This record gives sequence, C-alpha cells and structure tokens, in this order.
Amino acid sequence: MKVSFEWLKEFVDVRVSPTEVADRLTMAGLEIEGMEPAGDDIVFEVNVTPNRPDCLSILGVAREVAAAFGMPLKVPDTGIQGDLPASEVTVEILDPALCNRYTGRLIKGVIVGDTPEWMKKRLEICGVRSLNNNIVDITNYVLLELGHPLHAFDTDKLFGSKIRVARAGEGRKITTLDGADRELSPDMLLIWDGKEPVAIAGVMGGEASSVTSETRNIFLESAYFEPTSIRRTSKALGLKTESSYRFERGTDVVFLENALNRAALLMRETGGGKIHEIVDAYPERYVPPAVEAAYDKVNSLLGTSITKEEMRALLGRIGISTEDRGEKLIAFPPSFRRDVRAYYDIVEEVARTYGFGNIDARNPKTELSAGILNRREINIGRIKEAVRRTGFTEVINYSFMNGADLDMLLIPHDNVRRRHVRVMNPLRQEDSLMRTTLVPSLLKNFLYNLSRGTRDIRFFECARVFIDDGGPLPLEELMLGGILFRENLPCLWKEETPSFFVVKGALDSLCGEMKIKGFSYVPSDEVFLHRGKSADVMLGGAKVGFIGELTPGVVEKLDLKVPKPEIVVFELNLERLHAAVPENLTYSPIPKYPAVERDIAVILDESLSSARVMEELKGYRSEYIERVELFDHYKGKNIPQGRKSLGYRITYRCPDRTLTDDEVEKIHTGLVAYILGKTGGELRGV
Amino acid sequence: MDERLSPDQLLSSLSQIETEFRSDVEGAADLAGLQQIKTKYTGKKGLLTARMKALSSITDPAQKKEFGRRLNEVKNIIEETIKGKELSLREGEKERRLLTEKIDVTLPGKTTPFGRQHPINNILAEIKEIFVSMGFGIEDGPEVELDHYNFEALNIPKDHPARDMQDTFYVSDEVVLRTHTSPVQVRVMEKRQPPLKIIAPGKVYRCDADVSHTAMFHQVEGLMVDTDISFSDLKGVLELFIHSFFGKETPVRFRPSYFPFTEPSAEVDIGCVFCKGKGCRVCKTTGWLEVLGSGLVNPRVFEMAGYDPDKYSGFAFGMGVERMTMLKYAIDDIRLFYENDVRFLRQF
Ligand SMILES: [Zn+2]
Repeated sequence: MKVSFEWLKEFVDVRVSPTEVADRLTMAGLEIEGMEPAGDDIVFEVNVTPNRPDCLSILGVAREVAAAFGMPLKVPDTGIQGDLPASEVTVEILDPALCNRYTGRLIKGVIVGDTPEWMKKRLEICGVRSLNNNIVDITNYVLLELGHPLHAFDTDKLFGSKIRVARAGEGRKITTLDGADRELSPDMLLIWDGKEPVAIAGVMGGEASSVTSETRNIFLESAYFEPTSIRRTSKALGLKTESSYRFERGTDVVFLENALNRAALLMRETGGGKIHEIVDAYPERYVPPAVEAAYDKVNSLLGTSITKEEMRALLGRIGISTEDRGEKLIAFPPSFRRDVRAYYDIVEEVARTYGFGNIDARNPKTELSAGILNRREINIGRIKEAVRRTGFTEVINYSFMNGADLDMLLIPHDNVRRRHVRVMNPLRQEDSLMRTTLVPSLLKNFLYNLSRGTRDIRFFECARVFIDDGGPLPLEELMLGGILFRENLPCLWKEETPSFFVVKGALDSLCGEMKIKGFSYVPSDEVFLHRGKSADVMLGGAKVGFIGELTPGVVEKLDLKVPKPEIVVFELNLERLHAAVPENLTYSPIPKYPAVERDIAVILDESLSSARVMEELKGYRSEYIERVELFDHYKGKNIPQGRKSLGYRITYRCPDRTLTDDEVEKIHTGLVAYILGKTGGELRGV
Repeated sequence: MDERLSPDQLLSSLSQIETEFRSDVEGAADLAGLQQIKTKYTGKKGLLTARMKALSSITDPAQKKEFGRRLNEVKNIIEETIKGKELSLREGEKERRLLTEKIDVTLPGKTTPFGRQHPINNILAEIKEIFVSMGFGIEDGPEVELDHYNFEALNIPKDHPARDMQDTFYVSDEVVLRTHTSPVQVRVMEKRQPPLKIIAPGKVYRCDADVSHTAMFHQVEGLMVDTDISFSDLKGVLELFIHSFFGKETPVRFRPSYFPFTEPSAEVDIGCVFCKGKGCRVCKTTGWLEVLGSGLVNPRVFEMAGYDPDKYSGFAFGMGVERMTMLKYAIDDIRLFYENDVRFLRQF
C-alpha cells in the first residue's frame, strides 16, 4: 500500500525524517518496503500483513506512528452541524449475519463535476487513478484516508427510495460498474432497491444505479459486511477491488459512521447540495470483547519480567484499555482491532510495543536427545557423496514434466510412469505434471549443456518422483538418476572404457562403498533404452532401477549434431538402495596363510554372459576357492567367429595352513574340467 | 718374460708394473675395460702372475723374502684399486641408466575429476550441520500435501485472507503442492510428544515465477517445543544459528510480522552482507536483509495437533535456502540454480 508522507503528517505531527519514521514503523511490525520521492512528497510502500486491516489507511498508519513516537493523533472533525432534513431513503437489513450495520446519507442537489487538483494529486500519489468525478473520487479519497469503503448511488435510480440488504437467491444477474454482466450465486450478499439488485455488497456497484454527470441526488453508503462472505463472493466472481480487499480483512463497525460523514462533508464542499439526516440500520450493537491475560503467562512466554504497570501502559499506547485484576489484566481492544481476541494476541501486542530488541536472547535449557541424525539421512548423504566422487555433478530440476516428455521416451500407456499427478493451475503447460521419472529433466540438462559447448557431461539428481497409486496423496519415492555423455576427444592420458561400463562401474563403486550386497544386472525391457546395451538393476531379486544407452529411436528425436552419440542414463530407487545398506559391519580376520593364484582362459560362445560363467565358477564346490576374478575379455584374432575368450584368476587359500602345490593342482584341474563341461567351452592355449 | 732377471731387476720390475697398472686403471672407462686390465695383471698369463712364478728362482733367503713381501704389496694394491674402481664405475652406470628413464614431471597428472554438489545442497548441508550440532533432528514430509496440513492445521482456514500470502498450486480442492515446509511441523506433532527439536528441509512450490521467484524452491523449517520455551529462546537459537552461518560479527534484528501459525511472529534480518549495513541495491538501501521468518507457535496450532497449550510452548522458524545460498556466494540471479549450467555448477 502506498502512503503519502505529507498526508500522514496531517494526522500526526512528526518532526523527524521520513527515514526515521520508516525505521520505527518497520520495527513496530508495519514494514516499509520502499520509499520514493513524489514531487515535494515522499511515498512509503507499506507491507500491511493480513491480520492488520486497520492499517490499510493513512489514519491507520498514523495511529502506529503516534504510538511509536508517543504523540497525539489528530483525527479530522466529522461532525455535521445544524438541523438536517430527514432521510427520504429507507434502509432494511434482511440478513444481519452478513451485514452488521448499514448507514447512509442522502445528499440532494449536488453538482457532479471536476475533482479538485489537490485531491487528484493525492489519489495519484497513492496509486489511484482519478476519474475526474468529484463524487466517485471522494469515495476513493476517504477509503484511502480512513480505510473504510463507501459507495455512492444515484438516489433517483433507486426504485421506491429503498435500500434492502439481502442475498441474491436463485438466478440473479447484475451488470456491474465495469460494464460486465455477472451471474450471481444464491449466497452472495447484494444491495437491492425496492425491486432490483443495485450492487454486489462490498465488492462493486451496479451500472444502473451509478453516479453519472447528470446525477443530482446522491445516496452514500457506509456499511459493515461480514469478511468471509465478501471474500467468497470476490473469489467466485474473480473480482478483487479496493473495497472487497478491506471488507474481507475486516473493517471498523463503529468508525464507519465517521467515514460516511467525512465523505458527505467533502461532497458538499466540492459540489454543494444538502446533507440529510443519517439512516443507521444497526440491529445489534458491537460489544468489544474483554480479553484476559495473566501477567505471568505473558512474561514467561516472552522471557521478560515486565511489571504490571508497564504492561498496561504498553497496551494503552496502542489504544487497548485495560483493567487490573490482580494476577491478570482484562483488555478491551478498540473496534478497529478485531484481531485481538485471545491472551496470545495480548502477548504479541506487549512484545511489539515493548520492542523485540529489548527481549534478551537466551539459550534454551533442554534435554539431550539421542539418534538425532537418522540412518536414512546418513545413508542417502553417503550414497550421493559416493556418486559425486565417481565424477557426476549434482543437478536440481523442477519437479514438473509433461505428457510429451513421456511420449518422447516412448513410455507405453500402461506403464507406471503414466500414473502421474496433474497440477490444476500450472504456470506453463510444459509443467503440468509431477515427475514420475527423472530422465526427461536429465535429458534437458544434457541438451542445455551440449548446446553450450560442454563435451563431457556427467550429471546426477536425487529427487522424488510422484506416482498416483489411488490414495489421497501420491506415492513419493526418492530416486537417484543420472546421465553420461562424452565426446571422444584426444586427451593426454587415455581412458577407453565404454560409456556404459563407466556408469556401471560408478554404480558398482557406489555399492562397494555402501557395502550393498546382491546387486545384479539382467537385460532390460525399458523401451527407451538400447536393447543390446541396457540392463535392469536387481537387488535381492527385485528391480530397483535401470542403466543403459538411449535407444536410437529416442536419440534421433533429440536432433543432435553428434553422429551416433552414446548417451547413457540410469535411475535407481534410493529408498531401496538405502534399505539394503547393512546396519552393522562385522570384521573378518585377515588370512594368516599364503594364497595360490591360478589363471584360466576359456573360449566359449559369445552369447554366454560373463555373469553366467561367473555364476557357474562360483557354483563349483571347494572350500579353498577364495576369490574368482574376471581379468580378461577378448574377441578377435585367434578366436573363432562367434566365440570369445574370458580369462579368470582363481585364488586358492586354506585358512589354517599352507596349501601344497599338489592340492591346488588337484582342485584347479577339477574346476577347469567342471567349467568346460558347464559352458561347453575349451581352454585357450597359453 | 725373462726368467733370468736378477733379483734386483725383479724387484724393480714390480715398481714398473705398479706404475703401469695405475695409469691403466686411470684410463678405464667402463667395467669391460676394467676387466681387461684385471686380466692383464692378475690373469693366468698376467704380468703379476708371471712375477709370482719368478719367486722360486731367487735363492737368497733375504732377497726372496723381500721380493715376496713386495709382490704381495703390489698384488693387494691391484686388487683393492680394481675393487674401488669397479664400485665407482657401477655407480656411474646406474646414474646413466636413471637419466635415460627420466620423465617430464611438469606434464599434468591423470585426475579423477570428482563431480560437484549443487550449491543449494552445499548450503543445505551447512544449515543442517549447524542445527544438528545444536541437537535438532531432521524430519521429512510429503511434497504433495493435503490442504489440511498445508493450511487448515496451521491456522489458515479456507476463506482466510492469509491464503493470499502464498500462491498455491492445486492438484485438487483438497490436495496442494506444499507451499512451505511447515506442514511437517504438524505431522511430527501428531506422531510425537514434546520435547521436540526438529528441522524439516525440503522442496516447496509457489505458483509465481519472475526474476526473483522460481516455482519451486527449498526451505528449512524448524520447531522446538517444551514446557518452558519463550521468545527469548527463539532469539537465542536463531542468533546462534546466524552467527554460525554468517559469522560472529553479523548484526541481527528481530521485528514484528505476521504468520497465521505463530504469534508473536518475527522476521529476522541480518546486517547486509554486501554493503555491511551502509545501504545498497540488494538491501534496497535499508542496510538489512530478511533471512528468516519465526515466531512462538500459535496455541491454536497446538490444539489442532493435540498438544496442551497450557502446558507446552514452542517456537517455529523457516528460511529459504536459495536466499541463504545467494547471500553466501553472492549469486545475483535465482534462476541460475535451475539452469544447471555446468559452468555454474563446477564453481562450487
Ligand atoms: Zn546492502
């Protein structure tokens, strides 16, 4: 909200600089977010929090200034003197729950004309466009000044000289001041004349009864409408006005009469005319609540030792009168402070006026607690750290995606990744779904960086995906996703491992670091992966993710300048990885006796996977085989077409003595015969 | 060799041999040369070997003894000298071989380029560490959240104007993308009894995006509940945090504000880290930067979570991790965090 400093000074006689006023207000809870010069004036940008509608005016801000500097407040005299003719317009409230009070004044014989320059200037400084119509501008002026919304009707257009306040009921329509035809729902509160709706209460007036240049007789409204009702109506109609903004936050049911008078006087001053007696429909007078607060409770919640007298004086400064009742005080907040309703509101007001800066800081006395960092937090941190150390840089992407992202990856319609959560009001259509996989975002990161000249791209992200599983809230699972792409560039120290195995090696290192056992890879049927260069990652028999090169069909769509790019992606379920991290580690003794190593090279069918051969080797029963390690994989010269050679190093060891050569020879011969039999392979000549 | 040399001649010939030997050794360039010299003097047909054979031809015992002594002396000299020369020649050869194996130590090493942690997570880790060291535990909650936890249970009913404070992404009338990490407070309170000391870091979503806002960002929520927690404690804990995070000398101020789930509510400002409080563009010339929102837990929130507000009190706070990161690394554009340009990411 914009506040003119000069206008403010009419209400409180501050002599200090605007900067100092701004500082004090900010420290009292009325944040001045900015200060701009406007001619010989200064405009404050005030951030008024939703709990303080009383500050939505010059008067309201002036009250805070007066309290902060301990100065008197100067409220303009709004008394209307002399014998006034009786009102010719009658007012009837049919729904007192939604309209607590309705006041009005008839002003007859007014000349609708230009707005005085001084008023135009002030409106403009405060960000309100002058309509150069004294009547309408005055209602806006008083709204800015005193914070209460007013509405002016052309009395001659009110059928039967009647005002009635009632809900819309079925099938009502109205054309509002802005020329729009609006369908009204039954619960909306309206202002009616003797026949038709003439305004949407507290939101906007109707066009038919509005003030025009021909208008001579004005009926001025100043009322209290129930906040929730106004908010609902304004939301439902998508119509937010200066009036609705204030009514929905709460206005001053007592002071609204002064606003009415202030505007009536200004109208007479600028347009002449005769002010009539007030009409005041006020079915149930407002009784200020009495709020109890125990002095001790206030002090213990604040950590202060403010005396009774001091506390009551602090409240008095902001217009809250109090009575002392021994252990506690009874506070009577003024009608403009409807937000003060319970003891904790009193605590806040005391703290605010006492000054937050005057409350001492102390360190809480609390118990020590065990298990502060949970295992999940630690494990996930370590997993991410391990991935980082294998050369992947962390990215953070928005949690959004769209259907086209899934189409691009050829994701079938019955795939779980299609069970997504849709955002009703996305900022962009591209961001209308919550991610069910991290791959699309990672691909975008890859493209972004590739197009900016990065030739070696290794990214990982650790984020949640959201799967709609039919429950009230979707399933949220923490995933670890990554992408690797590098161009084959000349480099000083050669690295010739294929990209797939670089990524796979990273995952293996990660499992080694985390001591996760039982990790295996089986051919994957993920449609977006290269059928020959992809694998599902299995843990304890269940799929926990995938790794693989993007299939050419997907790569083509990326429209890259690079020929046959190898883009390797992976995605793992972090929750399940974390669950497989052993809780305790137990040491095993270091062997005392020497080991014997024997190598074996087997030529076998190309289609036989190394994992299968390894499995067979491990299946050979001997208590002395300590380790089997694949050290060579060869195809080509000297090996027949369709065959390959695998070289293994076998480590033999007995825990309690040294094995003799004869013993080792015997087991090894057995193993060789066994594996040749199992695989149909032959020994490669050494 | 003339065997008819007189004993005197024999004796003096030994001196000739010694002189000749010394000059030969002097000129030996390598081990092979040295071997030849060794053969020349002490080999089967060597010069000295020949003189040894002459020993028996001397008849005079005194002369024989003198010749024998001298013969031994020369033999020792030859053997010792050759041994010494051999050692020094071997040293030299090793040295030469090392020189041929020399590498250019100024060539770059083979690096294992570690990846980097995203700057947001660098800072998040730092924030977590500070609170964990103060005894706070870490908690978690869903990002797609029920309206109930995101708003209602935090004292923000459906028709409350405070809903305007946060632009909300809706999944349905009852489900939202959480607009803050505060719902974790409620979820934790529903599960556990005080004392409570937790932080809840995570992603949050707001339906507005411009130069200074992104539709998703990170927050850290904090909550402490016990039987005797006051505004003083709130100030103590948050000052401690700010001094750990921004440095001991950082000025801190608390000013009144409004959040529906805390009362009294306070914004926490620090002295501008860029201009040291003098006033600059970043702090809009005020010399202060807002870094945290906080307050005493509103008793209504306690009631809704099933805590007795007469017995317990507590404070809550929340901060934006992007903002903390921008302040810490002097980053001037929030959008950089989500572009994931490697040239940006590798700086951290
Ligand atoms: Zn600054």
